[in-house]
Amino acid sequence: MTAAVAVTLAACSGGHSTSTQPQSQTSGKAVNGGTVNVAEAASVTPNWIFPFSPIANFSVANISDLQQLLYRPLYWFGGHNDQPTNDPGLSVARQPTYSTDGKTVTIKIKPWKWSNGEAVNAKDVVFWLNMSKAEAAQWAGTVPGAYPDNIKSYKATSADTVQLTMDKKYSSNWLLYNEFSQITPMPMAWDVTSASAAAGSGGCLTSVSKCPAVWKFLTAQSKDQSTYATSKIWGVVDGPWKLKSYNSDGHYSIVPNTAYSGSPKPKLDQVNFLPFTTDTAEFNVLKSGNQIDLGYVPPQDLPTKPAGSDLPKNNPAGSNYDLAAAYRWSINYFPINFNNPTVGPTFKQLYVRQALEQTLDQPVDVQKALRGYGLVNFGPVPAKPVNKWMSPAAKQGTPYPFDVNKAKQLLTSHGWTETNGVMTCTKPGSGSNQCGPDVKSGAKMEFNLDYASGTPSLDQEMQQYKSDASKAGIVLNVTSKPFDSVTGESVPCTASQKICKWEMGNWGGGWIYAPDYLPTGESLFATGAGSNSGSYSDAKMDKLINTTLTSSDMNAFYAFEDYTAQQLPVIFQANVYDVFATSTKVGGVNYNPLQTLVPEYWYRTK
Amino acid sequence: MGGYLLRRAGQALIVLFLVTVIVFVLLHLLPGGAAHAILGPRATPAQIATFNHENGYDLPLPVQYLHWLGQLLRGDLGYSYHLNQSVGSLIVSRLGKTIVLNLIALIISVAIAIPIGVTQAVRRNGIFDYAATGIGFVFYSTPSFFLGLLLVLWLSVNTGLFPAEAPQSNSIWEILAQPRAMVLPVLTLVLLQVSLFTRYMRSAVMDNLILDYVRTARAKGADENRVLYRHVLRNSLIPMVTILGLSLPILLGGSLVIEQVFNFPGMGLLFYQEAQVQDYPVLLGITLIVGVATVVGSLAADIGYAILDPRVRYV
Repeated sequence: MTAAVAVTLAACSGGHSTSTQPQSQTSGKAVNGGTVNVAEAASVTPNWIFPFSPIANFSVANISDLQQLLYRPLYWFGGHNDQPTNDPGLSVARQPTYSTDGKTVTIKIKPWKWSNGEAVNAKDVVFWLNMSKAEAAQWAGTVPGAYPDNIKSYKATSADTVQLTMDKKYSSNWLLYNEFSQITPMPMAWDVTSASAAAGSGGCLTSVSKCPAVWKFLTAQSKDQSTYATSKIWGVVDGPWKLKSYNSDGHYSIVPNTAYSGSPKPKLDQVNFLPFTTDTAEFNVLKSGNQIDLGYVPPQDLPTKPAGSDLPKNNPAGSNYDLAAAYRWSINYFPINFNNPTVGPTFKQLYVRQALEQTLDQPVDVQKALRGYGLVNFGPVPAKPVNKWMSPAAKQGTPYPFDVNKAKQLLTSHGWTETNGVMTCTKPGSGSNQCGPDVKSGAKMEFNLDYASGTPSLDQEMQQYKSDASKAGIVLNVTSKPFDSVTGESVPCTASQKICKWEMGNWGGGWIYAPDYLPTGESLFATGAGSNSGSYSDAKMDKLINTTLTSSDMNAFYAFEDYTAQQLPVIFQANVYDVFATSTKVGGVNYNPLQTLVPEYWYRTK
Repeated sequence: MGGYLLRRAGQALIVLFLVTVIVFVLLHLLPGGAAHAILGPRATPAQIATFNHENGYDLPLPVQYLHWLGQLLRGDLGYSYHLNQSVGSLIVSRLGKTIVLNLIALIISVAIAIPIGVTQAVRRNGIFDYAATGIGFVFYSTPSFFLGLLLVLWLSVNTGLFPAEAPQSNSIWEILAQPRAMVLPVLTLVLLQVSLFTRYMRSAVMDNLILDYVRTARAKGADENRVLYRHVLRNSLIPMVTILGLSLPILLGGSLVIEQVFNFPGMGLLFYQEAQVQDYPVLLGITLIVGVATVVGSLAADIGYAILDPRVRYV
């Protein structure tokens, strides 16, 4: 999924947003009306309209490029700025308030209307919560032990107010960013079990046990793409847009929802989304005419970036377009298998992980493989865009900069001796100058590193890594495999399992924090977490992560962040950023790190 | 003739069955598996197990194959869990467009190739023959994606004469209503096909020109035009029947490369996209269509050949 998040984000600034990000530059005068054409990411098209998605459809394309344009979540993240934060102005609900013990949360809904005239109210939130309780297994946002398990009870206390009681006190940031952000009010028109049934007759609002039948009906409707644009169900929207047409090949158009209650109101008459099979096809069309207003320049078509700028000196898209650099709210890393029966014990030694990080030359990768369009990545918080989550220590830079000599010294000072170019454990044991617990005498510093094929920059990076690591006596047997093979093998496992033979797996995409926007580590680094691919387990890390979930103190967050950067539960690697092209005849566009779209800010110029 | 047809039809069915078995096994041996491709890196092992169970991917391969075959016999090509549609509706929505694109290219190619091939044969080893052979060789040996990109660069990006993207509509009439957008993909296909067809035509005409019946016709006083167009051309077109029959798979299956370069949402592109996510039902559906087209195409070519040249029936 992460690899598929490439390039169609476009978000905007101004209006009710909390941001201060300036709007995109355009010299023309703003006009009302007109159409804007947006290029979708290559080979990625929305295919699921129901904003209660199973994991197979839990993609940026579905959520940001389709669902959220029509159905606004309770708390909307992204907005008219370059920050990965909540935009209260674009959200359906006011900021939540908390009881003094922190366990009771009150959410008040703004006086918005659905397009059929009904009020967006507390019932719609309860409907969603009931559905997520009943169909937790089908909802990709479910986190066992957390959402929705940690909501003990909930009720509508008035027409516009919902009260939730949590099982314990949580960090208000974490609740907002990772739990309430995933709730989308659903209209009564959806609480049905057939297209002709009366709104609310499905009974999911009043009884959780009736939700499965409603879910089944809505899921079947979502599978019927031919009816998306004409459906009575999906036609009830509270977002600024409604669907005008939808084609399963990826072409779809949205038009303003004239009953939209929020602000700003759309200025355009229509936004068309255009699918492309490859980024080459997209770039050909971008360059050859005026069919695309918002597109992107594929990495391979970017000239080397000059120092001191985020963008190339010459615009490869031509004079009809302005370029913009867009940093994703993501980190890039690859997991190592701590439970591999052979090399797992070696990976469990912190000094080994430090040596592995210190032999990965990220600055060179950025300059050469990514041709300047990237940044060094060394912890769980993205360094760019500049954000409030970066700790003071992280702002100082990586704790383990590239240094082959230091890496070599680390290994030799821990009982490893270079033999025929490979570091070999000659001093087994647990002492400070020995190889470490469970590392056997004769163990070699030789690892199999599988990485995703098809990306020339990753090829280059891994070859560079192999070469640099060998200078420290670390042998990396790098093998390129299909992306799916790498993600398929890089899974949590126990040493006795057959699938636990993998050693290092690099799918090239790391992790994007969306729609769990807070860069906490419960999904990635906590013991037993589903996406803890390398089965990393550390009691202190678990404790620090838990603290970030329950404390709103930024120092607690910084402690987790700094410990992660220092402990290296994964090997961090350089992260790429996108370069977008915006027609000079379109204004109000900027690019959001969460890849959310806000076309209501866009306008054409003359 | 009847026995010949029955024999060939029986062989075709066996080939088709083997094709489905081989493709089914090969697809399912691909590393990674559909679950990882569809669910992405964020999927937990439990979610992957659920997906595999729901889609029957945890069953033994022969059982999965029989299940698929059973569905197929009921006319059900399966459901694409990536595109959320039935495979049948996906294929129907793409097939027409692919046929239109390739049929136009095929007709133009044949119309151009026949006179060029005949002229080359008649004026063999002359300037026209050398020039046509040279140009044809260049186009034939040029990779299709490269030729397509060159045409985009010259005729779209630099000069703006034609759009770089093929028509995007689902309606065939709307596609036909955008002839400018069809020029580059059709031109690419034509340039590639003409060189191939011309070679066949040239060889066939040359082969016929030295046969006894031509000498007899000339001896009987027939003028050269009559010899060429009434006798040689008719016989020389017979090998073209084979080529046209073998074009059927491309006509239905699409050209993967050309559809990619010009963003043409046809069958080739569908196959390419779904191969990336190991969407087995779609891949099997398209493979089946192409397999049927290959078998039917070659059968049609054989039958056509047998009708045109009775000697074949007794081989």
